[in-house]
Amino acid sequence: MHTSAPTATVVVTPQQALWLELMQFYIREAWLLDERQFAAWLDLFTEDVLYFMPRRKNVPRRESHREVTPLGDLAVFEDDKRYLQMRVARLETGMAWAEDPPSRTRHLFGNLVVEPLDNGEVQAKTAFLVYRSHLETDQQLFAGSREDVLRQVNGAWKVAKRTILLDANVLLDKNLSIFF
Amino acid sequence: MSATPQYAIIDPETGKIDRHIFMDQAIYDEEMEQIFGRAWLMIGHESLVPRVNDFFHTYMGEDPVILTRDSQGQLHALLNMCRHRGNRVVRCDDGNARHFMCAYHGWTYANDGTQESVPGELEAYYNALDRCALGLIQARVETYAGIVFATWAPDAPSLEAYLGDARWYLDTVFNRRDCGMQALGPLKWLEPVNWKTVVDNCSDNYHVPTSHLSSMLVQHRYLGRPLITHEEQFQSPNKHLFVNGHALTFREVDDNTPRYVHGISRDTFQAFQEYYHTTLPEVERRLGTFRAHKIQLGNHSLFPNGVLGFRLALPRGPQRTEFWHFVLLERDAPEVIKHVIRTGSQAYNGAAGLFEQDDIDNWRQVTAASRSPIARQYAQELSMGVGHAGRHPDYPGLVSERYISENNQRHFYLRWQEFMNAKSWADIHLDPMTARFEGTATMQG
Repeated sequence: MHTSAPTATVVVTPQQALWLELMQFYIREAWLLDERQFAAWLDLFTEDVLYFMPRRKNVPRRESHREVTPLGDLAVFEDDKRYLQMRVARLETGMAWAEDPPSRTRHLFGNLVVEPLDNGEVQAKTAFLVYRSHLETDQQLFAGSREDVLRQVNGAWKVAKRTILLDANVLLDKNLSIFF
Repeated sequence: MSATPQYAIIDPETGKIDRHIFMDQAIYDEEMEQIFGRAWLMIGHESLVPRVNDFFHTYMGEDPVILTRDSQGQLHALLNMCRHRGNRVVRCDDGNARHFMCAYHGWTYANDGTQESVPGELEAYYNALDRCALGLIQARVETYAGIVFATWAPDAPSLEAYLGDARWYLDTVFNRRDCGMQALGPLKWLEPVNWKTVVDNCSDNYHVPTSHLSSMLVQHRYLGRPLITHEEQFQSPNKHLFVNGHALTFREVDDNTPRYVHGISRDTFQAFQEYYHTTLPEVERRLGTFRAHKIQLGNHSLFPNGVLGFRLALPRGPQRTEFWHFVLLERDAPEVIKHVIRTGSQAYNGAAGLFEQDDIDNWRQVTAASRSPIARQYAQELSMGVGHAGRHPDYPGLVSERYISENNQRHFYLRWQEFMNAKSWADIHLDPMTARFEGTATMQG
């Protein structure tokens, strides 16, 4: 039996519309990474991007402000756009041995929280689970969060700053040759 | 304990090494006592504990150790083990504390290791506990240019004698400036490799044009850095030499040689050359004219587990190593120089480093081959340059004729064997010191 679909107008607030737009942005990012379209992934970042993964230390609870190392200390990643381009370009040489044969990855981004900033930029926080399988039996599960500052460039969102927090002290993987 | 086995794992004439030293648990356990129980080990840097009561948690081999600066400013290396049951008294990576309290029963120690209090000392122990004899176990501590070393061996020679003439070269990086250096880090990660392979690789410049080709191509393209080729390496006047277990390589330079460190690009090349030339008079005063102008330390290792400067390969089992990556910055360097060296340090080395990430699967497969029942019957082949090393008129140590050689690796495994066979420090030789340490720089900086 056929009934015509009811037509209803769904009203979303500007805040919800922004959330939906950015969730789509992150879903697309996950597929670009897992399908190894790294050149397209690089294009999600502004020219002045800071791609930053600080270290995380074991400190007493009441000294939690010291847990994450600040910018200016030694980081796991402290890349500008050029270093990110180098990381991607070397994969294409066929001789980047850490990723040749390449890792099989699965990036799950969720728990999106969006906060518009006064200057027109947007702060977006996501949690992630990233699975990496490499060579025969190497595997690793990474959990963490990303705090992005996004900016509109020619009508498209780009990440101007990404701060990645891995939920780890001693990293358990043999190297970090994948992206977050 | 049965008599110490006599190890003969390498034939110095053929460079063949027995692969069992990379996989055998019993050999590994013996290494922890014979090598990590008696050698001088790098454990930290003074700049990691700058203020009184600062502490930094570190390791001597597998043993957890607290590096402290007590209320008098004195450094200590304390075994992180409560003398009651053995719980750790520190669970943090660093901090500032006058006392360490065991979270199990509340035994408390001062940061110089002294036992301070035991709950129930009078009542439960009937005042019969010899509390003063139950301070935290202490290792001997000495420093070189701010780098802190420790040893468990009361009969070990001084750190100065242990480093010997290696310091003549190390000074050209670690002891250049009056201002000293600031350590940042560590970044820690676990590699599925034997610790010796990591250390051995430090004087293996032979691997660079192959292992790191992709990164060299992109650093040439994006940063304007020169390419390193096999042809150039085989003709290079750079040197490869060995002192007391320490394997070093250095660039033989002159005032026109461009100076590079990780991170320098075409944008910062000029600023770095200017920094180098501006500091040269100070370096001449500190190290003498010859070293200031002619020597630039390259890849190197400090026996047993210091890797490329102040970085550590901490053993975690026959096929597991916890790697600690630090970067050292000259304190008075301009901010732009500090920034490029710091960001270059993460981009080149460390878990995510463009160069270092390509090493790991090579190292792990080299050490994993020692588990393969057929593969391990075949020795590793370290014969490059046998018979082509000796004394040099200008350079102290056992110097290879060519920059690309496996002489340092053969001698690293011979040094390993010497430690494994030694009953005490009396059986471990030190090369006579022949270097002329010109200039004002000392062990203390």
